[in-house]
Amino acid sequence: MNRRLTWFFLAAGLAPAAAPTPGPANQSPAPSNRPPAVEQGATAPAAGPAPGPAPGRDPAQSNQSPAHSDQSKPDLGAMESAIAADPESLRTASEYRQAVIRAREYDRAIAFFEKLVADRPQSANAWLNFGYAYVDKIPAAGSISQVILANNALTRFSKSIELRKSWLALYTRGNSYLYWPKIFGRAPLGVADLEEAMALARSGPRKNVYARNYVALGDAYWKTERPAKARATWEEGAKLFPGEPQLKARLARAGNAEALEAYISDQLDPNKRVDTDLRPLWEGP
Amino acid sequence: MTPRSARALAAALLLLPPAPPVACAASAAGQPADTLAASAPGSAAAASGQSAAPANSTARAGAPASGGARHDSAPAPAIRFEEIGARAGARLTHHIRKFHGNGAGVLQMFTSGGAAVAVGDYDNDGYEDLFVTDSDTGRGCHLLHNNGDLTFTDVTAAAGVGGGNEPGMIVSDALWFDYDNDGRPDLLVARFGTPLLYHNEGNGKFKDVTAASGLNKFTNAIAVIAFDYDNDGYLDLLFGNYFKPVNLLDLKDPHVLPNDLDNAVNGGGVTLWRNQGNGTFVDVTDKAGLGRHTGWTLDVGHGDFNNDGWQDIYLADDYGTDRLFLNNRNGTFREVTEEAIGFDTKKGMNVDVGDYDRDGWLDIYVTNITDEYMKECNMLWHNNGVDASGKLTFTDVSRETGTCSTLWGWGAKWADFDNDGWLDLIAADGLRSAGEKNYIPVLLEMIVRPGVDFTDVNNWPDIGDMTWSGYQRKKLFRNLGGQVFKEMAAEAGVDNAMDGRGIAVADFDNDGLLDFYQTNANQPSLLYHNRTSSPGNWIELKLIGTRSNRDAIGARVTAKVEGATLIREVNGGNGYASQSTTRVHIGIGGARRIDSLEIRWPSGLVERLTVPLNHLSYVKEGSGVVAGPGNGGKAKAKGRSARTKDAP
Repeated sequence: MNRRLTWFFLAAGLAPAAAPTPGPANQSPAPSNRPPAVEQGATAPAAGPAPGPAPGRDPAQSNQSPAHSDQSKPDLGAMESAIAADPESLRTASEYRQAVIRAREYDRAIAFFEKLVADRPQSANAWLNFGYAYVDKIPAAGSISQVILANNALTRFSKSIELRKSWLALYTRGNSYLYWPKIFGRAPLGVADLEEAMALARSGPRKNVYARNYVALGDAYWKTERPAKARATWEEGAKLFPGEPQLKARLARAGNAEALEAYISDQLDPNKRVDTDLRPLWEGP
Repeated sequence: MTPRSARALAAALLLLPPAPPVACAASAAGQPADTLAASAPGSAAAASGQSAAPANSTARAGAPASGGARHDSAPAPAIRFEEIGARAGARLTHHIRKFHGNGAGVLQMFTSGGAAVAVGDYDNDGYEDLFVTDSDTGRGCHLLHNNGDLTFTDVTAAAGVGGGNEPGMIVSDALWFDYDNDGRPDLLVARFGTPLLYHNEGNGKFKDVTAASGLNKFTNAIAVIAFDYDNDGYLDLLFGNYFKPVNLLDLKDPHVLPNDLDNAVNGGGVTLWRNQGNGTFVDVTDKAGLGRHTGWTLDVGHGDFNNDGWQDIYLADDYGTDRLFLNNRNGTFREVTEEAIGFDTKKGMNVDVGDYDRDGWLDIYVTNITDEYMKECNMLWHNNGVDASGKLTFTDVSRETGTCSTLWGWGAKWADFDNDGWLDLIAADGLRSAGEKNYIPVLLEMIVRPGVDFTDVNNWPDIGDMTWSGYQRKKLFRNLGGQVFKEMAAEAGVDNAMDGRGIAVADFDNDGLLDFYQTNANQPSLLYHNRTSSPGNWIELKLIGTRSNRDAIGARVTAKVEGATLIREVNGGNGYASQSTTRVHIGIGGARRIDSLEIRWPSGLVERLTVPLNHLSYVKEGSGVVAGPGNGGKAKAKGRSARTKDAP
């Protein structure tokens, strides 16, 4: 997987990666057969009380380390059992989804999480992972199916937020909005989510992952034509996280609007695969 | 010009190559004495083995065909066009068919093609004429006779070919092809309905022979090409059908739209008609192995992709995967999509075939949709050739070559516009330019609605006066040497923002530069005259089959120039909603000679010959260069005399 973009750049919106023109002769990785049909947006269960981490709580803290099998031949069934036993575990679910991506069992994962949220409708992280499962399938879908998948993902992210306003969920949904083409007018929604996520981040201990909140919020301001605010946000982030390359890259182009626009557009290019691996949550400081 | 002076000029101009081995006994022998191609083995020039450039000659402008350093200080070609449609009398406005009742606007959108153009010299006067379609009820198609001076005369009424848009029928495409090999191009009009076949009577009039032809199958055809799939000497027809065969103008069931917007399998597929050689055609779709294809075929193209001498086919499908079929050489095809190109989910809109990198294998350009909200990218299928195991594969290099985006793509054509020896690309785009409101957000609401049935016309929001991917600028990609292209439509003056559909390329004034005609849906058409400065040298061949089909469709021309090998095949209508010239045009840049020129006819006959530079030559299968029918004298380069004075 291309790790150029970290999980911070999760794109629930229109995020295909490998060109969907696969085949042995094509340079792009290719599924060996046609992508399966896209499931239309399933209805979300009714919201209930929000157990689990409080808003702003480091979601990784509640994770358990799941036992998993050989990654080359993952036992998806065992992993699903582990998730079902602890639907709030981001770590277990993240590793499961990565295994699913390797096995290209996207529909299986979507079906699994659909059942999981039906069984555990109050699990905010189950809904969040349900959304990620849709995102994971986007690279294997056609251009219009991608829109449907992206919209399905947003719906699930919203359900998760409805249950519990975690930093991760707000950040994920807010960042997802940034991938939608301007014509759909979703960038302002991204600003709102990312500002709220930022408030949560500032309310707790500093984590390296929060640097990405500065990146995304600056991007959101940029996309809503507030370049000064965008630059101020990136500069603030750079002071707190001086080693963050994405902040450096933007500030290096801050004096050249055209170059900056090109760079951000490239970063948010829906044709590039995004990484939904959540390991940085628990592997970083 | 006397024969003697002609030969003297030819000897100087041609710098004749060594006499090649002659695969065909006929070769250039038998050519009329007044042709400039003094090149047959045994000729004085040929006997000399190889001619050197005259001492006082200079290399012509344009980059050398080999793509290396220029031969001289001549300026680089600057591709420029002038739009002359109105002045030329060739400006025609297309009208989309209007629907009525529920879903009218949606059906109108889904049938917004039909603005097509076909190039052919129907009266054999040496100038390429135009047939331009219309699609609305009561609107007629047009036959435009080329007057030879960059003006056209509408001769539709006299020719009797204006019909087609009767109630229940929608004209969608057109094609010139000589189905009975009588030397006069006949005309086929494709329709959402049954096709029309007009026989060229040779006196400026056409006769509707549809009923006798057997072409009686109702399909929603949107594309048609002619080629000889079984190499029997008669041109067959392949129709690309968009909708399944239901009458959209009398819709009984609203469930007619794609069942999946990326993987639809409820389209019309294709129909292959075999020409039986007696004026009749028979549907051989199933027999040929094409009957299982049920995609939304938007364009079809042919070419000998695996260099075996037989024509293969590529199907560009909207809402789903394109398909590649190789010819089994026994009247059937085998699908090799998975191993050759893989399965895609894009919106295939156009197929054109050409060897853009001069590696001896035909490549394929397919337009898709690359817009703000749909980032598909086109496909430039680089032909990797056949490997040791016999497998043919392609690699999509559209991103690497810079030909990825033509927005909402439609017709696109390969053509060497500056005669530098490299095939450039001209591409039409734009779906619907209308009011300020954009249809996409409205459409999105439908697309993401849980459980929505895409097939139901009634589920699609009315488009009203909204714009959908409209006002898009056309693209011209100049080939910079076989690896990368430069987009230069604005610079060349062709970046119009019309709702383009078909692009037909031809040299309408026989000046050695390729022009093009652009049709636009519900809008006026455009005619672009090529005004490129400092172009390279060129040859143009009109091939006349004898054992092969008369139009020589499928014939391959191979020219070797300064170490480079340029191949061209005569095609019968490749490219969406348009048929370009069937003449073979080869630019050779600053080169002053063609080292060898070979024609492989569909019959299998291989001829080697030489022809004069900067001249249209008629070549008859088995007879070499012959006088042009009608007035071959008119068909040589006009206005280029200065460019031929470098010869003594």
